[in-house]
Amino acid sequence: MFLTRSEYDRGVNTFSPEGRLFQVEYAMEAIKLGSTAVGLKTKRGIILAVEKRITSPLLEPSSVEKIMEIDEHVGCAMSGLIADARTLVEHARVETQNHRFSYGEPMSTESTTQALCDLALRFGEGDEDSMSRPFGVSLLIAGHDENGPCLYYTDPSGTFWQCDAKSIGSGVEAADIALKEQYRKDMTLEEAETLALSILKQVMEDKVTANNVDIASVAPTYHLYTPAEVEAVINRL
Amino acid sequence: MAATEGIKQHHSTWSPYDNNGGTCIAIAGSNYCVIAADTRMSTGYSILTRDYSKICNLADKCVMASSGFQADVKALQKNLSARHLIYQHQHNKQMSCPAMAQLLSNTLYYKRFFPYYSFNVLGGLDNEGKGCVFTYDAVGSYERVGYGAQGTGGTLMMPVLDNQLKSPSPLLLPAQDATTPLSESEAVDLVKDVFASAAERDIYTGDGLEIVVVNAEGVKREFLELRRD
Amino acid sequence: MANTAIELPPKGGFSFDLCRRNEMLAKKGVQSPSFRKTGTTIVGLVFQDGVILGADTRATEGPIVCDKNCEKIHYMAPNIYCCGAGTAADTEAVTDMVSSQLELHRYATGRESRVVTALTLLKSHLYSYQGHVSAALVLGGVDCTGPHLHTIYPHGSTDTLPFATMGSGSLAAMAMFESRYREGMTREEGIKLVCQAICSGIFNDLGSGSNVDVCVITKGQKEYLRNYELPNPRTYVSSKGYSFAKGHTEVLSTKITPLKEHVKIIEGDAMEE
Repeated sequence: MFLTRSEYDRGVNTFSPEGRLFQVEYAMEAIKLGSTAVGLKTKRGIILAVEKRITSPLLEPSSVEKIMEIDEHVGCAMSGLIADARTLVEHARVETQNHRFSYGEPMSTESTTQALCDLALRFGEGDEDSMSRPFGVSLLIAGHDENGPCLYYTDPSGTFWQCDAKSIGSGVEAADIALKEQYRKDMTLEEAETLALSILKQVMEDKVTANNVDIASVAPTYHLYTPAEVEAVINRL
Repeated sequence: MAATEGIKQHHSTWSPYDNNGGTCIAIAGSNYCVIAADTRMSTGYSILTRDYSKICNLADKCVMASSGFQADVKALQKNLSARHLIYQHQHNKQMSCPAMAQLLSNTLYYKRFFPYYSFNVLGGLDNEGKGCVFTYDAVGSYERVGYGAQGTGGTLMMPVLDNQLKSPSPLLLPAQDATTPLSESEAVDLVKDVFASAAERDIYTGDGLEIVVVNAEGVKREFLELRRD
Repeated sequence: MANTAIELPPKGGFSFDLCRRNEMLAKKGVQSPSFRKTGTTIVGLVFQDGVILGADTRATEGPIVCDKNCEKIHYMAPNIYCCGAGTAADTEAVTDMVSSQLELHRYATGRESRVVTALTLLKSHLYSYQGHVSAALVLGGVDCTGPHLHTIYPHGSTDTLPFATMGSGSLAAMAMFESRYREGMTREEGIKLVCQAICSGIFNDLGSGSNVDVCVITKGQKEYLRNYELPNPRTYVSSKGYSFAKGHTEVLSTKITPLKEHVKIIEGDAMEE
């Protein structure tokens, strides 16, 4: 892939003669370096689980935030450049609140995802508040609206897909294979919790503890598990 | 100097507003909503037209009836229709009646110091399929109610509706259902009678009555002649 | 006496002190009471045998109809009638006053009243009030000099015409007269045209409405055709009617206060009690 690399990988808004935007592709590479995150849909709601990568025992685990609340009914897990994700999440929070103000109703998950992707695509425009490069982050967006639970996956190109189950980050290949084998549409929320964590366990280098993973559910409202609740899931593995 | 002063005086008495009269009401039932308005548009002692619809279909299950200054009403309807089109493109669905109610309130309040001179009732079905009615003032204060009347004949009709459809206070806890126990045909009958009565006493109400019924099957329209004097 | 000047009797002319006072009070925000105004269509025409007067029957107070079937054709004399538009109280009072003056005049002279007499009495009264008595009138009658039709404006000016209209619906009514009136119309044609003119006002002027009253005056005869046409029936009546069940008005609390017992005073026994 890099054989054809040339000067075309400098500008974010210049296609190569083969029709590629190298900077976007590089951004997607950045995600493959990120920590693994998994999302699963059940009838009752969505489970998100992430690996926190506590690189030092001196690190305060609660300060590593890789699952964030966007609105009462939408949460998101991230992998890649977490700082970039914060910009996106902040944007989504404004959008969902604006929607509540304008229409007195929660914003649908798909619209929230679309609003996020609109910003993700708005790089290199040169104006004050847009990014100069693509966002180096991938998101799993879990929401609950009038269509029930929905899970979306976004990438730095601003594209999004709706999934029943999806993983992102460094362990994506192994995790996706495991999901394909073990995910069932009729799973209970508890079974989904266990499956998410067992997949993280497979792809993580460290041992799974209550400190180095985060779990959140959107069923139907966002809830980030306390260390005690995570511990309870670990004990079921 | 004298000439310019004369012009100045003329400007100071000119008003950007007019009142084109008319009456609008809406009644919410358990699985339907009736929205009605007369079809007379007038100014001063003159009738501009006897066949003007004050009712606007904003979404599949959301209908607005407006009296007041019809130029402002038209502008407001266009604004809301455009906003609804954008909403459909962005969210791939029809706006619900409660969502339109909030949007209408914001739209009116946005012009707090140069208001749309329009008095609206919004009716339709909510997300559960129950009838819902929202009444407004000109600057966006609104409330969900079981029934509402606006416009020049509103004050004549309201006591009759209070008597026939009496609904629980919105302040009661736990919240009580404000929809009327009347059947759809009974509600339509009441609307017709109440308009025929208002046309007797309000000079700005008359000519025709347009009734819109929203229920699970969709939107039905009905017309009735009113007195034309 | 410092205020001698004030106590001097007025030298003459009219006094509008109270009008000035009312304007001043209005500026300070005092609300003057609202009047019942007959936003009205009234008409009259001369036909081959006499005059025909016509009026609608709506009385309004602002945008509200306060009388759906009022009478706007007032009696002046057996051979003279007068349609009134403007403030209802003014038209009624002014026609009543002049009507009794005419009655007295007939007693004094023993002759039939003339239309010009009524006209002069009305206009001099209205003129002396400088338009503050807001009565716009159509006066018609037949006397020894033949049929007469006049309009009188609130300030006291008058016109003598073969056909006339007044009130808020006057333009609508005049449109009919201007297009269809001709000299020497028959009684039937005349009534028909008056009705058309009034209906034009009823349907096109919001201040006018309900029914058509007509009054035909010919030499030695008159016919007051009250509610000659009823062009505005109610369009809908609920089939089931309404019942007002007991308890529609919520009783929040009940308190019974017994009336005080009457103390009987029996004459002569007061001391014993």
